[in-house]
Amino acid sequence: MNTDLDMIDTLAAHGERRRDRRAFFKAAVGAAAVGAGAFLVSQQAQAQTTLTDADILNFALNLEYLEANFYYYAVYGTGIPATSITGVGTPVVATGGQKVAFQDSLLAEMAREIAEDELAHVNFLRSALGSAAVAQPAIDIGVSATSAFSTAAQAATLIPAGATFNPYSSDLAFLYGAFLFEDVGVTAYKGASALITNKTYLDAAAGILAAEAYHASMIRTTIDQLGGNPGLKASTIRGDTELVSAARDSLDGTTDLDQGLAYVSSGAGDTSNIVPTDGNGIAFGRTTGQVLNIVYLNKAQVTAGGFFPAGVNGTIRSSANNAPATNG
Amino acid sequence: MIDRETLLEVFDIAERRRTERRRFLRMAGTAAAVTGAAGLLAACNNGDDKAIPSPAPTPTPTSSLVASDVDILNFALNLEYLEANYYSFAAFGTGVNASSQTGTGTQGAVTGGAKVPFADASVAAYAREIAADENQHVLFLRQQLGSAAVAMPAINIDGSATGAFTAAARAAGVVDATSGTFNPYASDENWLLGGMLLSDVGVTAYKGAASLISSSVILDAAAGILAVEAYHSGLLRTLLYRKGLAMPALRTNADKISNARDTIDNATDDDVGISPVTVNGGTASSIVLADNNGIVYGRSTGDVLNVAFLNAGAVTSGGFFPAGVNGNIKASTAA
Repeated sequence: MNTDLDMIDTLAAHGERRRDRRAFFKAAVGAAAVGAGAFLVSQQAQAQTTLTDADILNFALNLEYLEANFYYYAVYGTGIPATSITGVGTPVVATGGQKVAFQDSLLAEMAREIAEDELAHVNFLRSALGSAAVAQPAIDIGVSATSAFSTAAQAATLIPAGATFNPYSSDLAFLYGAFLFEDVGVTAYKGASALITNKTYLDAAAGILAAEAYHASMIRTTIDQLGGNPGLKASTIRGDTELVSAARDSLDGTTDLDQGLAYVSSGAGDTSNIVPTDGNGIAFGRTTGQVLNIVYLNKAQVTAGGFFPAGVNGTIRSSANNAPATNG
Repeated sequence: MIDRETLLEVFDIAERRRTERRRFLRMAGTAAAVTGAAGLLAACNNGDDKAIPSPAPTPTPTSSLVASDVDILNFALNLEYLEANYYSFAAFGTGVNASSQTGTGTQGAVTGGAKVPFADASVAAYAREIAADENQHVLFLRQQLGSAAVAMPAINIDGSATGAFTAAARAAGVVDATSGTFNPYASDENWLLGGMLLSDVGVTAYKGAASLISSSVILDAAAGILAVEAYHSGLLRTLLYRKGLAMPALRTNADKISNARDTIDNATDDDVGISPVTVNGGTASSIVLADNNGIVYGRSTGDVLNVAFLNAGAVTSGGFFPAGVNGNIKASTAA
């Protein structure tokens, strides 16, 4: 029995050692290529001196506008109410979305729950910010061959270059569209939570973080239940999710902050991957710059593109500079 | 009899998840999209998987946490001991590693726990994933706390007529109030309900504690664990909701568990069941433990212990923790 336990201990320690080793390599490579780890530090240092809680909440509000409109179109065929988009700047009505003709009634019910949660997040953040709330920026949730969704699907190689991805065309297409957003929302709130100074706002942000994680889990679990079926590109739907995850990861720097749904086989049997976590069983966070890399669909330092063709409103507008070093 | 190979898997599953993922990406021909760093790491890992294990490193010394953060993390560690044991037994037939049970306070033993004969292979895969995550939470919190980490208290996760799950199910009306037995290891469905009972509490505990944490580094980690607990709860509630279409009792039993928690924690009606609701003229699910602002609610430490002790009063032990919890936060509050 002691032998068993010793062996278990050793293996556990082995896991720890590998994590340390990985951290070392990450640090080494990051230092050479100006990695995301270094950026995270500078971002936090900057935040302490220049960013206010209102800046962070407004950043989150932009993301909620995007999510709420996507789900509202999918469920109701319209964007969110006009009374929920006004504020600092010129509000722009979201267009181009479509109502999804859901085949799975349970998925339709979950989409409705998420749509209402996301609108509630918009309204809560607007209420918390008061007159400082930013207006809804231009949002691209349309279905043309050059739309943000199509660009993202092309980057993930789910569809060929120049082809169109319509996230409202089927249950599965909707799930892929939602998958694209939800994990990003979780990482955005996770990354921002430690930057918020006001305890009341922090408490609310933690609650929204958890709600986004619930949503992500609903979407990932529903996709996973279909996961063994053929994907658009990969041999399985789970394989497709890895392609989307890899595309996101290629935008936000050298750190691996993203995971798809591929199972791992071991002696104990298959293990799923509903929860994207690091080696400590902890969900990933992204800096504001990394989040904007993904929603702008650009790994360079830019202030507009992708789902926000005119950029987001507020003081946090720039994506991080993750352009590759000359020598890779 | 412990299956040694099975037992060992739990500690390494998350590492394998990431390694396998990278392997998949290379096979899928998207190596170009993966950074050089990831490729280098994957190459190292492949060799490392077969390496001979090295001796355990020296323990991390106690970090410079303020006392209140130590108290909160230790409170969370008690809950993680409970969850990790429940999910590990269900998935692998064994509990938390003995070397991860030591610490300050009175170390206890686990009563009950059994491997679930899962009928649905995907549910079994989810059970293994959650078990791996919860074990890593135990390890992570112990590492952060160093020598200040509390020992695992006595834990009752028994599925017999005298077990804590049966007491909870009787109180909730899931089984007969005097003669019923609820064994969460008997079936996929029972495991989902038992998991929902615990994981929802985990979510609300971390949510309630987040704004009390002083260290921004610890807060960042706690936010990440909060998110993971919410993923787990979302997974379990989504499955209960989906399976509940054909087995309506699953939804009504989940609602009863929610109501029972609500009864014993405090006077506010904030816990949420999973039966569908009507919103804007249509049917919506009820997966998220959210308030009217779409925001997940939190519980105070005292309210969390009301549920864990299965007692609406101000007490220091009972239910899933028959000898109480270790650390400075140990009393439930009168509802």
